[in-house]
Amino acid sequence: MSAIIENNQLPFSAKFLQFYKDRTLLAILLSLFAVMFIYGIFFTENYLTITNFKAIIRDAALYGIMAIGLTFVTLSGNFFLLSLKETASICGVTFAMGMATGFGSPDLAGNFLVSLLAALAVGVVSGVIQGYFVGMGGNPIVVTLGGAGILYGIGAWWSDNLVINFTRPHDAEWLGTGSFLGLPSITWSFILIAIAAEIVLRHTNFGRKVYLVGANKAAGKATGHENFSMAIIVFTICSVCCAFVAVAFVAQMDSAQSNYFSAEFGSSGDMTILVIATVMVGGNSIMGGYGSTLRTSLGAIFIAMVDNMMVLQGFNSGPRIVGVGLMIVFSIIVFGLFAKGSRAQE
Amino acid sequence: MSTNPILKISKVSRTFGAIQALKEANFEINEGEIMGLVGENGAGKSTLVKIISGFDPGFKGSYQINGKEVKFETPSQAEESGIAIAQQELSLIPNMSVAENIFLTGAKVKKFATLNTLAKMARPYLDEVGLTEVDPTTRINLLSVGEQHLVEVARLISREAKILILDEPTAALGEAESRRILEMVERLAANGKSIIYVSHRLDEIFKITKRITILRDGVSQGIQETKDIDVNKLVEIMLGRELANMFPSKADHISDDPKLEVKELWPDGVLEPVSFSAYKGEILGLSGQLGSGAGEVLASIAGALQSRSGSLTLNGETFLPKSPSHAIKKKIAYCSSDRKKDGLFLGRPIFENLTSPALGAISKYGFNFGSSEDNYSRNLAKEFLIDVKRMHDESGLLSGGNQQKVALGKWLSIKPDVLLVNEPTRGVDVGAKSEIYQRMRELAARGITIIFASTDIQEITYLPDRVITFYRGMMIDEHRLEKIKTPLILKEITDPFNETNL
Repeated sequence: MSAIIENNQLPFSAKFLQFYKDRTLLAILLSLFAVMFIYGIFFTENYLTITNFKAIIRDAALYGIMAIGLTFVTLSGNFFLLSLKETASICGVTFAMGMATGFGSPDLAGNFLVSLLAALAVGVVSGVIQGYFVGMGGNPIVVTLGGAGILYGIGAWWSDNLVINFTRPHDAEWLGTGSFLGLPSITWSFILIAIAAEIVLRHTNFGRKVYLVGANKAAGKATGHENFSMAIIVFTICSVCCAFVAVAFVAQMDSAQSNYFSAEFGSSGDMTILVIATVMVGGNSIMGGYGSTLRTSLGAIFIAMVDNMMVLQGFNSGPRIVGVGLMIVFSIIVFGLFAKGSRAQE
Repeated sequence: MSTNPILKISKVSRTFGAIQALKEANFEINEGEIMGLVGENGAGKSTLVKIISGFDPGFKGSYQINGKEVKFETPSQAEESGIAIAQQELSLIPNMSVAENIFLTGAKVKKFATLNTLAKMARPYLDEVGLTEVDPTTRINLLSVGEQHLVEVARLISREAKILILDEPTAALGEAESRRILEMVERLAANGKSIIYVSHRLDEIFKITKRITILRDGVSQGIQETKDIDVNKLVEIMLGRELANMFPSKADHISDDPKLEVKELWPDGVLEPVSFSAYKGEILGLSGQLGSGAGEVLASIAGALQSRSGSLTLNGETFLPKSPSHAIKKKIAYCSSDRKKDGLFLGRPIFENLTSPALGAISKYGFNFGSSEDNYSRNLAKEFLIDVKRMHDESGLLSGGNQQKVALGKWLSIKPDVLLVNEPTRGVDVGAKSEIYQRMRELAARGITIIFASTDIQEITYLPDRVITFYRGMMIDEHRLEKIKTPLILKEITDPFNETNL
């Protein structure tokens, strides 16, 4: 409150500088947005069209939702869930199995609600188990890499590495390809999840605990906020986000295969790299305790914009993946230069 | 003793930004002398030590060795002039042998040398520091911490150091090990080395030094002959005022209504189960050196350290806290000794730190909208004299004293019945110290039972209403009100069984 009141007494230029100082990373990101936007207007054909911007946000939505889930993990100081695409893979296979076969009972075949709940349940189970091991003190990288192998393997084994098809019309079309008020369902989902996540982080006790535990696990424990339950909850949130994206993607494709999220996904290849890039480009601290899902959402749109521009400029997928990699490196450098310098030296 | 000092520093000052760490420091040491260097935290001791050992070239003033003006740009230049420092944190490599550690830099050693050659070369240096029975081929991590300190000094001697700076060499040591260090210091001085002995342990300073340099607020207070002053006088010079004025007056009497009963508590690091009571509205001090078990007892009451057995009785309930969150639910607050490690969320704003243990109190159904948190944290800040204008600053930007106030003040948010504090004023300046003592007394007057553990003998003598002394994991004795006397407590925490005859 006091900060707001004091700011109101400052002249505009001072406020603007204050904004830049306090939110260096956000400011850099916004400046880059502006640069890109202007470049796009002048040097790229078909850039300034509503259709193109809808396409950008639609692209951003899929990995944006997963990245919002991953932001909870990163903010809470539990690093990354590296089994992102594998979780999505097994949940996608589960959903497609439900839509195609009803898990063996023909009555349930094509039942959207049952398939959706089954996919989400798989997400919850994998998230709880991985979170449990991390909460017990396991290294998140090792635990979730192991989890990645197991999840992918089970999905591939179950589906015999085959493409599971289910034919249109089916009950999931509204989510896969449907739209509402001119925007695709997945875009609406992205917007609603982004708003909900930001409210949870800013205005709930759970959100506050995510930041506190992420900032200092030992102090969190001393004040009664243990990382054990925190790890389980954040990994579950992240896995459920993966499951939801998987369902939406499979509903769009009318089919699923266990490697959909490795090679076939979107334009920029590997889903895990893309989602981690989104969290990083948003300027969230890898060590936890600093960042927000709003930043992640902006990061998703930024990456989608860069990708979109490269597509319009005629680059194929190789250089575009290089672009994503460069963005990760760049964001880490910027973070190291600005964010750390402005924070207290320990 | 020669009248020409081997090292002489006069009118040295050093500023870091707006902070003046040293204002005017004079210092000298003769050949073969042990010079004590004492001062409060923040008095400028470490700055002076860094200047002497060449770590800090950015000072103003004169620095002479053997009457010649010198200017060291790096520590290695100081070492060439025979000045070496043994830091508090040892710089030995744990899984290499003693001999290899001594000749780590490789100076004086042939290009190819077997471990046996090194061992032979290391022998005289080890003998000189009193490690006669240690085999130079032993790995460092098989030695005790005290022996490692001696190896570190042996290494400095091997480089022909004439002036040795020992920075708190006994801080982490028990009594027997400390004695070896003191013996070594005296032996080295007899062999003609000059030793600058920096320590918080005033008893040691009085035991071994001939003269003492006292720093206060960056100004040296003149050199004192050890035999001319006593502890009280020394402390008075150190603090710049009568010791007693820093502390609030004690309670009139101790209530006989036990608030917290500790029964048969037995955490790791304590030899036998301990039982004691803490009364309503009192300040109880647990006194003991590092490793005495006082801190461990405190941590296990708070659930931060597992206890093998025992129970607590508080407000008619008997339980044993399994975790900090369990203890918090029972209204037991615990402020640990290391605020950077587990006391503060350094990267988060002050108000978040203040409300962190009591998120339930600032929210409805888990949601936290509106200004209730703001009001709540402001009230806490006002109570603990924390600047309310800085509430949105990161707590890591505060000074040590203000950080400690936040670390302590946040526990008021749970409205505790029992407040446990380990080292209430570690790394805190004199002004904030006095404020913290004042606050602790006011809280006790409000009916909160305060138990604190401290290695600071002044704090233990002047703050609490009752003192329980600990020595090597054993509870020794209890004292009340005016019966609390520094010499008696010192005796009980360093040598209760008359084992040493120093």
